[in-house]
Amino acid sequence: MPLSILGPMVVIGIAGIAILLHLLGLSRTVTLADNTAARAAWDEEFGNEDPARAVTLAHDGHAALIETAMGRPGIVFAMGADTAARYLDGARVTPIADGLRIDLPDFTAPHIKLHLDAGEAARWPDLIGDNA
Amino acid sequence: MTDQITYPDVVNYAVPLFIAAILVELVWIFVKRRGGRYETRDALTSLLMGAGNVASGVLLGFVAWGVYVWLWDYRLFDLGTGWIVVLACFILDDLRYYWYHRIAHRARWVWAEHVNHHSSQHYNLTTALRQSWTGTFTGMWLLRAPLVLVGFHPAMVLFVGGLNLIYQFWIHTEAIGRMPRWFEAVMNTPSHHRVHHGRNARYLDANYAGVLIVWDRMFGTFVPELDSEKPDYGLVHNLGTFNPLRVAFHEWLAMFRDMARPGLTLRQRLAYAVAPPGWSHDGSRAMTGEIKARHLARHPEDTGTPGFDRN
Repeated sequence: MPLSILGPMVVIGIAGIAILLHLLGLSRTVTLADNTAARAAWDEEFGNEDPARAVTLAHDGHAALIETAMGRPGIVFAMGADTAARYLDGARVTPIADGLRIDLPDFTAPHIKLHLDAGEAARWPDLIGDNA
Repeated sequence: MTDQITYPDVVNYAVPLFIAAILVELVWIFVKRRGGRYETRDALTSLLMGAGNVASGVLLGFVAWGVYVWLWDYRLFDLGTGWIVVLACFILDDLRYYWYHRIAHRARWVWAEHVNHHSSQHYNLTTALRQSWTGTFTGMWLLRAPLVLVGFHPAMVLFVGGLNLIYQFWIHTEAIGRMPRWFEAVMNTPSHHRVHHGRNARYLDANYAGVLIVWDRMFGTFVPELDSEKPDYGLVHNLGTFNPLRVAFHEWLAMFRDMARPGLTLRQRLAYAVAPPGWSHDGSRAMTGEIKARHLARHPEDTGTPGFDRN
């Protein structure tokens, strides 16, 4: 197939599918219902070796701070309709307009934006600690 | 030099079919409220990975093609282009795919390019298109060399490889439960391939087949999908980004960083490239066998059940 046909078909196809998914409401971010859900999300990734001991859930349910059984800080955060989890070793925390931004020395999760209320934005840096 | 034998570039011709099938699956899921999940950014990343795979084929495909054409001059036989030869080429290429795929999961050098195909936490038809951009760099295309040397024309070898890829598209779905029994026995199916994409300890490193599941049954890597344990899709440690560039290159970067760690022996540096994913010089990470063993330590009742019945 000539590139002059394949190229536009691929571009229009990708854009069309993405727009359709968005219009169908499939861009919604997952909400962790409660501490149990956040704990389960952590334990899915690290539960075998270092399960969650304590959970601090963000008010909107899109992220949760974790204290692990080994005493290390971690975070569970929304990845679209699912979640990802990371230890907070080497984390740098920066205040942003609607919460905090965490920068990690991790190529697969370099920046995590947390939408927090004012109280959470004030408390969470202390909970995360200075890990940089 | 090659004779003037050409076959259609079937993967490119299948692009409209891919788009149409995704739309059909999406409408099915939306109407029926079952049979899978879609998420915008996940699907977009998968589609962009697919487009990048086509682009990398256009840009780098000449490398493998050039070698195949060169090897063709040293072929043992010229098997011609009869339909039985094409069929034999297809089956042998499917065996080649099985071993490529198995190596891709058991050697980090190849896992570095294949990992992105497993990096979605979803399992739908867009996941099928989440393909590598860096396959050329692994050198695994050399696994096709024996086919050319035996006498299958390079154009035919690429043609059947394209058919193999197209077959694998439709099995990336949760909308289809199980196919008829005879079909499940011989062919790779959505059920078998869901197992392959599962991150559950039970399902790790299983069902490498492309088209014929008989290779897994023959070489002892077959694990059936259990109704009692739904596959949980994605990686053992899932990515925290939808950025296609990070998806495409993250494992290469991690591998080279590991190889460059100070204080390692040459053997350890090499092992970071060729040992199975999860290998580490200090044993601080877990490979498949350890993940399964840890699962059995917590769930001894699973011992001897599918996925936990091999040493």
